[in-house]
Amino acid sequence: MRLMRSLRGQLAVGVSTILVVLWLGAVLGSAYVVRREIDESFDAALQETGNRLLPLAVVELIGAGEGIPAMRILPIEQDDENITYDVRDAAGRVLLYSHDADPKVFEGIKGEGFFTTADHRVFSRSAVSGQYTIQIAEPLIHRQTALRETVLAMLVPLGVLLPLSLFGVALWVSRGLQPLSHLSVALRLKGADDLTPLNLQSLSTELIPIQAAANRLMTRLKRALEAERSFAANAAHELRTPIAATLAQTQRLVAESPEGPLRVRAAQVEAELKRLSRLAEKLMQLARAEGGAMLGTEHADLVPILQVVLTDFARSNPGRIKAEIAAVPVASRLDPDAFAVLARNLIENAMLHGSQTPVTVALSADGLFSVTNDCAPIAPEVLATLTMRFERAGARTSGSGLGLAIAAGIARGLGQELLLRSPVAKDRGFQVALALT
Amino acid sequence: MRILLIEDDPGLGSAVRDQIAAEGHVPDLAPDLAYAGDLLSTMNYDLILLDLGLPDGHGLDFLKALRAKGSVTPVMILTAHDRITERIKGLNAGADDYIVKPFDLAELSARIAAVARRYTGNPNPLITLGTLEIDLASHAILGSDGPLDLSQREWIIFEALLQRPGQIVSKSQIEDQLYSFDAEVESNTIEVYVSRLRKKLGKDVVQTIRGLGYRLGTP
Repeated sequence: MRLMRSLRGQLAVGVSTILVVLWLGAVLGSAYVVRREIDESFDAALQETGNRLLPLAVVELIGAGEGIPAMRILPIEQDDENITYDVRDAAGRVLLYSHDADPKVFEGIKGEGFFTTADHRVFSRSAVSGQYTIQIAEPLIHRQTALRETVLAMLVPLGVLLPLSLFGVALWVSRGLQPLSHLSVALRLKGADDLTPLNLQSLSTELIPIQAAANRLMTRLKRALEAERSFAANAAHELRTPIAATLAQTQRLVAESPEGPLRVRAAQVEAELKRLSRLAEKLMQLARAEGGAMLGTEHADLVPILQVVLTDFARSNPGRIKAEIAAVPVASRLDPDAFAVLARNLIENAMLHGSQTPVTVALSADGLFSVTNDCAPIAPEVLATLTMRFERAGARTSGSGLGLAIAAGIARGLGQELLLRSPVAKDRGFQVALALT
Repeated sequence: MRILLIEDDPGLGSAVRDQIAAEGHVPDLAPDLAYAGDLLSTMNYDLILLDLGLPDGHGLDFLKALRAKGSVTPVMILTAHDRITERIKGLNAGADDYIVKPFDLAELSARIAAVARRYTGNPNPLITLGTLEIDLASHAILGSDGPLDLSQREWIIFEALLQRPGQIVSKSQIEDQLYSFDAEVESNTIEVYVSRLRKKLGKDVVQTIRGLGYRLGTP
């Protein structure tokens, strides 16, 4: 089945089948021609023999006179006769016959010429105005044997040549399809994120358009991905400055307003602006995470990235993080910026939803990144929905509901799955883990 | 401190400038790199707040050129670029800190104070000067008889001296701290404020070095 799904297998089997059928057809045609030729040759020999024997028999019979009993002609050497004959008078009485002649073979033969019985070919010829007729018979088995041996002689080489030709066809097809194999291997070996064009030399004429079409498609895909990524990045960048300006002006308004309703109102606007800012940030991160292209072109060490992220958290939330980071570089193809977004979101999530005990952030030498916080155990059915957008695991929490969705999107872009676990130990805790290598 | 703010967005620029001024610093706002270059060629700054995406160039190139010229003025990047790799690039180019927009003005003030303290060689915001206990972060001074209040300008002059303990600070250096680039300098102002400082903190807190300027003393 697998052989027939392969183009190489289909071609080899197809060409070989056609070869065998044509060869057998040629053998059958040859057998037909050979049979006709054998018949002609054997008939000619039979006729010639009859023509030679009849005058001799007539001279012998005339010399013997009339009324003599039928003469049996004995052979010079005792052997089985290939050709038998008899000579009869006009009344059909046997006058002379060869020693192995079977009268039954000649029964029913009337007239001159060739006749075919069930198992003999018979030639009949008359002389002296029909007074003497010779009937000479040859068993058909001789011809059949000759034909069979000739056909066998043609089929035996076929038995040897056929495997050789099949091997040759397979070899030739394999060599002919080598450029296709190269193209197939080149496409198969391309990673999901590798959109560089194929540049295979010495491709067959038929394959050049396929390579060109594949390259066009990859170029379009690359452009689309870059456009999507740069839109998310540009949109985030362009949004930040006006939000920053509005927030800063509002904070100045709060600072410069006298105590009273105006300051309260301004403080409310400030709080809403901060919420808007956080939400816009998370939505942009989600767009980037779900847009794929999370893999960098090269492996990068994630330890210094994580250290920068942890330094930020240490500044804003001193004492809230317990870091367990490998002392060796941890190389991953995950884009360092994507990793920073992932780490920030998981740590923020742990701080927001966990108890006030320190959050454990671990990055092991084998690339396992995990964030663990203390909290009441989370039910499995709730755990299963946490990576959905705007899922807050309860109405009391105040997060954006996007942190774990962003982390899950980044994990998918890496080709991995975000592993959520609760409880972690002693019936408490929540852990998110991801293999980064 | 005299602070150069390079920010092309007028809304954000004016709010940050006002915040810095309210914190007792003297800000100059430059909307582009060319104007910032002009200001730097005529004025010494204690801190530069630098946006990256500016109309006439990239802030990072400006920072690299500044460091290449040997400038050690602390630089804090204020930018909308949030990527951590860009941040590492900024820090590698010689920035002292990096704050991503939108930011809280209180957070910015705290970062400015932290950078300033790092550069004066004393990361601790609490300073003891004779009988005075000074909190640089909250601009609070505790004397032997209780808290002492300074006006904004008195604090600026006192802080300028605190940042350079044992060194002579010239009158023009103090004026640079006191007035923004386009402000009109009033005559005898420094003398008036120094006199008030001595009255509030003790006569030995500021020493006059004739013809050269002032030096921090011990009350």
